[in-house]
Amino acid sequence: MLSVKNLSKSFDGNTILRDISLDVAAGETTVILGPSGSGKSTLLRCLNLLETPELGQLSIEGDTVDFGTDLTDEQVRTIRQHSAMVFQNFNLFPHLTAQQNVALAPVLNGKKSKAEAKKLAGQLLAKVGLEHKADAYPDNLSGGQQQRVAIARALAVAPDYLLFDEPTSALDPELEAEVIQVLMGLAAEKRSLVVVTHNMAFARRVADRIIFLDGGTVAYNGAPAGFFASDHARIQRFLQIFEMTDYKI
Amino acid sequence: MDRYIELWVESLPQLLLAAAQVTIPLTIIAFVLSLVIGLFSTAARNLGRFNPLNWLATTYVWIFRGTPLLVQLFLVFYGLPRVGITLDTWSAAIIALSLNTGAYVAETFRSAYASIPRGQFEAARTLNFTRAQTLRHVVIPQATRIALPPLGNDLIDLVKGTSLVSVISMVDLFQSGKQVAARTFEPLAMYLEVAAIYLVIFTLLSIGQQYLEKRTSRYVRTANA
Ligand SMILES: Nc1ncnc2c1ncn2[C@@H]1O[C@H](COP(=O)(O)OP(=O)(O)OP(=O)(O)O)[C@@H](O)[C@H]1O
Ligand SMILES: [Mg+2]
Repeated sequence: MLSVKNLSKSFDGNTILRDISLDVAAGETTVILGPSGSGKSTLLRCLNLLETPELGQLSIEGDTVDFGTDLTDEQVRTIRQHSAMVFQNFNLFPHLTAQQNVALAPVLNGKKSKAEAKKLAGQLLAKVGLEHKADAYPDNLSGGQQQRVAIARALAVAPDYLLFDEPTSALDPELEAEVIQVLMGLAAEKRSLVVVTHNMAFARRVADRIIFLDGGTVAYNGAPAGFFASDHARIQRFLQIFEMTDYKI
Repeated sequence: MDRYIELWVESLPQLLLAAAQVTIPLTIIAFVLSLVIGLFSTAARNLGRFNPLNWLATTYVWIFRGTPLLVQLFLVFYGLPRVGITLDTWSAAIIALSLNTGAYVAETFRSAYASIPRGQFEAARTLNFTRAQTLRHVVIPQATRIALPPLGNDLIDLVKGTSLVSVISMVDLFQSGKQVAARTFEPLAMYLEVAAIYLVIFTLLSIGQQYLEKRTSRYVRTANA
């Protein structure tokens, strides 16, 4: 269980997240939607403590931090080990091969020997369909392949929650499909996923829960069916934008 | 022309000896020290904005990049005795050259560090690397590749800079050539020879640099294409 209570975050005096409270159940796929600038990335980054909120509380799998006072390195590392982030721009380590990218963290975190980590990396690359690219450097991989390596790298630290910030936004539709397929596989395995995306088909078909952010507050939190049938004006306007873009394409 | 060839052959051992005894060891010692200085300065300049070590390093770089090496050398060798610090020529030369090059190396390291994308640090954080692990496994391998070309420039400037130690009466390659020129009254022949030897040293260093750049750039597609 991941639980956020009364979380607030501001940048340079602008409040980006206002008093957010929500729970994310383990084993579910939670999709965060919302207009640009509504604070989706910021919320996701707060869950991994890539951003530190000013106020509120975060609990993941029994570990809890209260914001408002400075966190110790120990606290940050304890909370952070429960989740791993997959970024829009992949952020693979360019000087390491696909396999080395995946194998590095388990070794540095002291969880695996080098040989074990290498084996794990091979398995995870196979899982994302890239066993044949184990020795390739990121620069020699397509965007879709890079993102799949990044997913394998995140899986390698055995996180309780996988966090995705627009994992397909930098990709062509064909490559997007590769990555979405991997995500769907993870969802089918009942892994706990929190996904920020603009892919409405994914939200509709795969999400167990939809959280809709608007202006830094939660405007919807519930089942996808209710979201897509909502008569809330703001949600309707948001969905219409996608229908129109779908239509134009 | 025959006379020139005779002169060159005759003086070559003396010049090579001067290069081997002064120019090259001075370069190596000062470069190693300047790498250490550059590393510490970079670390200090990455501390908080109000940290005194940061100020110290920033001031150091400012002064030693902003004043001529010749002036620094004179200050160390002729100036310091006035405040009770008398140094032999080797110590003075090593101190001045490594402080001077260290300031440039510090700049090289700073810009290499700054050119590593923010996403790399975020990836390291999300994977729960410690600061030291991030430095060792993410930053340094990438920064090294970026730093190599400017570092090569710093080294080559240093080699040429060592010729200034002749002013504190050290017999380096240049000073040795100067002595032969004075003895033989053949400045053109001798300084051409001195220049050629510097050029050979430079060429060898460039080859080494190219090799290292290739080795550290294996993961970049454009560099291999
Ligand atoms: N590091 C930062 N410093 C200052 N302002 C920031 C920072 N990060 C985000 N913001 C601001 O916070 C607001 C929310 O940003 P955020 O990236 O969370 O939005 P988002 O919902 O992810 O948008 P998008 O769909 O465009 O990615 C924006 O107005 C943004 O400018
Ligand atoms: Mg975003």
